[in-house]
Amino acid sequence: MSDSADRQSLGPNVRQTAAERATGDRTDTLLQTDDLVKTFGGFTATDSVDFSVDEGELRCLIGPNGAGKSTLLKLITGTLAPTDGSVYYNGHDITDLEPNERVDRGISMKFQVPSVYGDLTVRENARLPIQQFADGAERRQRVREAIEAAGLTGYEEVDASTLSHGQQQQLEISMAASLEPDLLLLDEPVAGLSLEERGEIADLVQELNDDGITFVIIEHDIDFVERIADAVTVLHQGAVFREGSIEDIRADDEVRRIYLGGE
Amino acid sequence: MAAESSASSSSSSPAAPSALGRLRNRLEGPNTIGNSRRFWVGFAVVLLGLVAFPLLGGGTGNQFSLFLVLGLLGLSLSLVWGYSGILSFGQTVFFGVGAYTFGVVSINFPTPGGITGAVVAGTLGGAVVAALLGYFMFYGGVRDVYVTIITLVSTLVMLTFMAQTAGSEWTIGEAPLGGFNGMPGMPLLTLGVEGIFTFQFVFNELELFVPVLGTVTFDPFYYLALALLLAGYLGLRVVVNMDFGRVLVAVREDEDRTQMFGYNVKRAKLIAFTLGGGFAGLAGVLYAARNVYIDPSVFELYFATLPVVWVSVGGRKSLLGAVVATIAVEYLRLNIGGELALVAVGALLLLSILVLPGGIVPWIDEKLTNSNLDVSEIDGTEPSTEVSES
Amino acid sequence: MAHDLKQAAFQVRYGIGAVVAVVALFALGAFTAPNLTFRVYYAVSFVVLAAVGLAIIFGIMGVINLAHGEFILLGAYATTLSATQLGLPLPVAMGVGALVTAVYGLVVERVIISGYVPNWIGQRAVGRNLIKPFYDRLADSMVATFGLSLIMVQGARIIFGNSIDQIGVPFGSTAGYPDYRIALVGITAAVLVAVYLLFTQTTFGTRVRATMQDEQTAKALGINTERTYMITFAIGSGLAGLTGALFAPLLSMQPSLGDQFLVEAFVAVVVGGASVVVGTSLSGLLLGPIDALFSDQFGEFAGRIALLVTAMLALRFLPGGITGVVDDLRDRMGGG
Repeated sequence: MSDSADRQSLGPNVRQTAAERATGDRTDTLLQTDDLVKTFGGFTATDSVDFSVDEGELRCLIGPNGAGKSTLLKLITGTLAPTDGSVYYNGHDITDLEPNERVDRGISMKFQVPSVYGDLTVRENARLPIQQFADGAERRQRVREAIEAAGLTGYEEVDASTLSHGQQQQLEISMAASLEPDLLLLDEPVAGLSLEERGEIADLVQELNDDGITFVIIEHDIDFVERIADAVTVLHQGAVFREGSIEDIRADDEVRRIYLGGE
Repeated sequence: MAAESSASSSSSSPAAPSALGRLRNRLEGPNTIGNSRRFWVGFAVVLLGLVAFPLLGGGTGNQFSLFLVLGLLGLSLSLVWGYSGILSFGQTVFFGVGAYTFGVVSINFPTPGGITGAVVAGTLGGAVVAALLGYFMFYGGVRDVYVTIITLVSTLVMLTFMAQTAGSEWTIGEAPLGGFNGMPGMPLLTLGVEGIFTFQFVFNELELFVPVLGTVTFDPFYYLALALLLAGYLGLRVVVNMDFGRVLVAVREDEDRTQMFGYNVKRAKLIAFTLGGGFAGLAGVLYAARNVYIDPSVFELYFATLPVVWVSVGGRKSLLGAVVATIAVEYLRLNIGGELALVAVGALLLLSILVLPGGIVPWIDEKLTNSNLDVSEIDGTEPSTEVSES
Repeated sequence: MAHDLKQAAFQVRYGIGAVVAVVALFALGAFTAPNLTFRVYYAVSFVVLAAVGLAIIFGIMGVINLAHGEFILLGAYATTLSATQLGLPLPVAMGVGALVTAVYGLVVERVIISGYVPNWIGQRAVGRNLIKPFYDRLADSMVATFGLSLIMVQGARIIFGNSIDQIGVPFGSTAGYPDYRIALVGITAAVLVAVYLLFTQTTFGTRVRATMQDEQTAKALGINTERTYMITFAIGSGLAGLTGALFAPLLSMQPSLGDQFLVEAFVAVVVGGASVVVGTSLSGLLLGPIDALFSDQFGEFAGRIALLVTAMLALRFLPGGITGVVDDLRDRMGGG
C-alpha cells in the first residue's frame, strides 16, 4: 500500500492533517481505490480512478456536475458494485463486502438527498444508529449528545420531516458521526443552506476531524471547501483530473475551464 | 398523551418502575397505538366483552371464532407489510401450508400428542416456507414491487399445484391431498399428551354455570382462538417496540439509509418475513382444525388479497388496526351475504385507500391523541407547509 | 451522439433480424409441424395481447392496474352484447368493445387514478384537494384497483348473471387448428407494430416518452403531463378492451374470465421490463412457448406452473427484466 509520501506528491501547499498535527508523525493511507471503474450501460461514470486518502485527512472532492463524484462515494460505501477495480480500507480489500459490513469496519456516509426518517421524531432518528452498541443510560446519554451536536436540543419530539433543510442536514451528519466512524463521507453537506448554517456545518466537521475522523466531502461551495479542506481532488468525466491544495486548484486554469465549458 | 408516553418509554424516573410498569414499557412505544392507561382500560373492557360474548350470545360465538383465527393472518401481514414494508400477497401460502401440514401430520398421528405436534408442525411449516421464499427473494436482491409479484405468483403456483393433487398417488402417509376435493377426515383438535392431560377443543360444547345467567354452553375453540390471538397481538407489540422493531420501521422507510447505519437489512427482512410466515401458519392450523377440513381454495387469488384488504382498511402500520379491521370486514363480508357482499368489500377498499390511505384506526387514534409535534410548535413560528404523509 | 447512432443502428439491425426470424420460423413450422406451430404462436399471442395494455400503463405511469382482467372482461362483454343484442357485425362489435373500455378507462383515470374529479369537487366545496394521485404509488394503486376489480366482477355478475351467450368462432380451420386463432397471431403482430409506431413516430409518442424519462423537464417544456397520463391510461384500457374483444369468440363469457389473463399479463409485463414493445414481445416469446410445450406434454396445470416458475426465476435473476438483458447485449455488441 502506498504511504503518506504520496500526499506530498499532491503539492507543497497541502495542509497537514489534524492527525499529523496531533502526533507529529506521518500518517498511513486509510482508503485507497485501485483502478476503479463503473459503467452504466454504455456510460462510464467512473473511469479507472486511483483515489487515496490518509488517516485524519479532510479531503474535498469537487468537479462539474456529472463528474462522477457521488458514484465514487457509493462505490466506496458498497451501495454500488464496481464494474472493475478494487477498494482498499486500512490495507484490506473490501471490494466484495456489503455496505453494512463496511460500516462495521468504520465507514459511514451521509447521502446527497437529505434522508432523515421523516415519520420518526428527532430523538428516534438519533437513536437508530446508536441503539446497536449502547444500552440504557449510556444510550440515552449518547442520543442526547448526538442531538446536541446537531444543534437540535429541545426539538427531540419533533417530527423530523418538519425540520428545516439545514436542520435535517445537521441531524444527518450527526447521525452518521454517531457511529464513531474512522472515515466519514459527506455528499453535499451544505447544499441549500444559509451562510450561517454553512459556518455551523464547517465548525462541526472540523471538530469531528480534530477528534480523529477522516473526511471525504463532496461540495460545490468553494469557500466552504477552502475553509475546511486539507487537500482537494478534482473529478472530471469520471476520472481524477487534478489533486492538490485548494490554493493550487483555485489557481489552475484548466480546472476553471472544465467548470465553465464542456470538454 | 405525548408527555405520558415519553415518560413511560424513557423511564427516567428515579424510582424503579413496578412490574406492571415494566410490562407496559415493553408493550408500548411509538410503533403501536395505545400507550396510555386509558387505552389499556378500554382494551381490558373489550377483552372482557369478547370473553363474555359467546356466553351471552350463544350461537354467534361459533362464527366469531373464525374471525379471531383470521385475525392472526391479518397480524402477520401487518408485521410484514406495515412494519417491514414488504407488500406480500403470499401470506395465504403460509396459511395454506400450515393448514395442510396440520392435516397431514394429524391424520397420520391421530393421538392427542400427535395432534399437538401437528399444530407445532403446521406453524413451523408456515415459517419454514416463508424463510425459503424470503431467502430466495431478499438474498437474491429482489426488491419492492418485484417482491410483491413473486409472492403473488407463488400463491398461484400453490393453487395450481394443489388443485391437481386429486389422484391417489398424491398421498402422504395416510393423508390424501385430494386436489380440489380437499382433505377431510382430520381428527378433532385435541391437545395434550394422552395419559397425562388432554382436552378437546373442537365440537366439544361444554356447560358452565354462570351466576345470574344460569347454565350456558360454550365452545372452547373460541377461547383457544381468543387466547392465541391475544398472545400473538401482545407478543407482536413487544417485538415492534423492541430495537428490532425500530430497525424494521427504518428498513421500511429507507432501506439504503438503514443499511448505511450498519444494519443487515436482508437479514432483518428475512426474520420479519419468517415470523410473519409462522403467524400465518398458525392461523392456517386453527382454520383447518376448526373446519376439520382444508382445500385449495385458500390459495385462490381472492383469498390471497383479502389480508391486504383488511390491513389497508384498518391501518397497516397498526397491529390493532389490522386485528380490528380483519374482524370487522370479515363480519360484514360474511353477514351481508349474497352478491352485494363483494361489491361492498370492493367499494370499502377503494374508498378507504382513496380517503384514508393510512387506515381507519390510526386516523381515529390521531384524532383522539394528537401526539405529533411540528417544529413550529417549539419555535412558535408559522407551521411548515410540508405535509407528512402516512 | 455517436453512442445514440450506434444504439439506433443496433435496434434497426437486430430488430429487423428478430422480426424476420420470428416470421421465418412461423412459415417453416406451418409447413412442417403446423399444429404445434400454431399452438405455440397462439400461446405467444395470448400472452402478448394480455400484457400490452398493462405494460403501457405500468411502464409509463408507474401504476399497477389489478383490475386489468376486468377491463378485458368489459371489452369482451361489450363486444359480445353488441354482436348478440345489437346485431352488429363482428369487426364493428370488436371496435365498440375496445372503444367502450377506452372511455371507461378515461373515467377511471379521472376519478380514481389522478383524483382529478374528486379534487375538482374538493376545491370548490372545501377549498382543498381530497385525493393524492396514484402515480408511482405501486402498493396503493394495487390495493385501489383491486377494490375496483371486485366491484366490476360482482357488478357484472349482478347485472348480467353468471354467464352470457357466446359469439361463434368465425372462419374455419387449417390442419385441425382453428383459423381464427391463426388470424390472432397476425393481429397481435399488427397491434405491436401499431403501438411501436404510436410511441416512436407520433408527437404524442414523443411526449409520452419525454414524460416517462423526466416529468419535471417535460412539464417545463410545456408538455401537459396530466393529459398525457390520462390519454395513456385510456389507450392502455382500450388495448385491454381490444384483447377482450378479440378473445370473445374463444372464451366462455363469465364474469371471472379476466382471471386467466391477469396472471399471464402481470408476469409478462414484469419479466419484460421497462420497454413496452420490446419487453412485452420478447417476454411473450419466452413465456408462451414454455406454457404451450409444458401443457402439451404434461397437461394444463403443468403448463401454468412452468410459466409461473419461469417468471419467478426471471424476476430473481434478471433485474430489469428482459429489457435489461437486451440493453446489456446491445452495449456489449455496440461497443458503447
